[in-house]
Amino acid sequence: MDLATAIVTVEMVEASQMGMKALGAGLAVGLTGIGAGVAEMGIGAAAVGATAENKDIFGLALLLTVIPETIVIFGLVVSLLILF
Amino acid sequence: MSVVTGGTAPYVYVCTRMRVRKSKLLPREEYLRMLNMSLPQITRHIEEMEYKREIDELAASFDGIDLVEEALSWNLAKEFQKILEITPGILKQFTKSYLRRWDIQNVLTIIRGKNQGMKAGKIKEVVVPAGSLDVQFLDRMISEESSERAIEMLKGLPLYAVIERELPAAIEKGSFGRLENELYRQFYADLINEASGGLKGGDQFLKSIQLDIDTRNIKTIFRLRGHVSSQEEMEGLFIPGASFSEEELRRLSQMESIDELIDALKKKVRSSTLVEVLEGLREEKPIHEVENALIRAQLEYMDRLSKRNPFSIHPILVYLEKKKYEVTNLRALARGKQANLPAERIENYLVI
Repeated sequence: MDLATAIVTVEMVEASQMGMKALGAGLAVGLTGIGAGVAEMGIGAAAVGATAENKDIFGLALLLTVIPETIVIFGLVVSLLILF
Repeated sequence: MSVVTGGTAPYVYVCTRMRVRKSKLLPREEYLRMLNMSLPQITRHIEEMEYKREIDELAASFDGIDLVEEALSWNLAKEFQKILEITPGILKQFTKSYLRRWDIQNVLTIIRGKNQGMKAGKIKEVVVPAGSLDVQFLDRMISEESSERAIEMLKGLPLYAVIERELPAAIEKGSFGRLENELYRQFYADLINEASGGLKGGDQFLKSIQLDIDTRNIKTIFRLRGHVSSQEEMEGLFIPGASFSEEELRRLSQMESIDELIDALKKKVRSSTLVEVLEGLREEKPIHEVENALIRAQLEYMDRLSKRNPFSIHPILVYLEKKKYEVTNLRALARGKQANLPAERIENYLVI
């Protein structure tokens, strides 16, 4: 056999597949994290502004601010499904 | 929290604060309730609202109607200065320019007061330091011996050139009307220049200014109705730069028929609420009712603009205007009660 020809074994294919899966899982969490961050920027700014004027709505403002976190949870679920 | 710059988040923050503050302003029902109260009850009622701190601070030096007036002015000035502190970037610049109208009012009050030989303490009571000239500066101006020295202090400000040009004639005639008109004309011209200078959000600012100019000009037309005025007398009364040119406004103010006037105005006015209100002005009404209707239409349109552009200069401007009218209303209420005017009569003067 020619020395220059690489041999692709089953182990190597499996390792590559695992790598791709990990990459996909990472992207699922990472991108949804960025999305949630962008969404929370506006809500958070408005929540801080509203709370500065009226302290009674702190609880509601906090709740509204964390609602975009659900996107990250979806991302996390997807990544777990990919990995396991 | 004095410096907020960059990105959209500071806009969202400030505009939300303004919206919350606007929602805390007195509703119509509250004014109607206050119409049935006596002056001490009104003072106590105001004390329970946003004006508590000012009433408490000033209670030692003033009483009765003076206490209410001073507390309202102080609160207004403090509120506007606070807004200037929290607004970010370009919004701050626009707000600062918009609040310069208070500088004009204060400087004119000081010049008028000094020319009539009023005491420094009395002038100080009527000054509202809500613009870019702060309390210390205004106090120093008031404590100057002569009005010339006080005016010298304004060197370097946009006001100075106009005052220097117009003051000698004003003192000679004993009337500061022309000086006041010229100051406001220059103020609006500067605002238009700034808004059309290509700054981000300038087009929105321009809309508000033009609405303000239109309302002001229409008010002047209605004030002039019934008085035949020469072209010379009308010189400088109108402000150019919005829907109408000065020439058109002069012609409109001399129209005999109210229907023709309303039709001509409706053709060019851009704000939908002003058009609606103009329709209701076809029958002759007392001037204060006409003015109130126009102001209400202006505020409503500003409110609409602020909803259409939630993160722009509009929510700030609409709050500034509504707050100003809240203070004006409360002052009218207190003054009316002190003069024992009937509730219906006072109600006619309120912008609610």
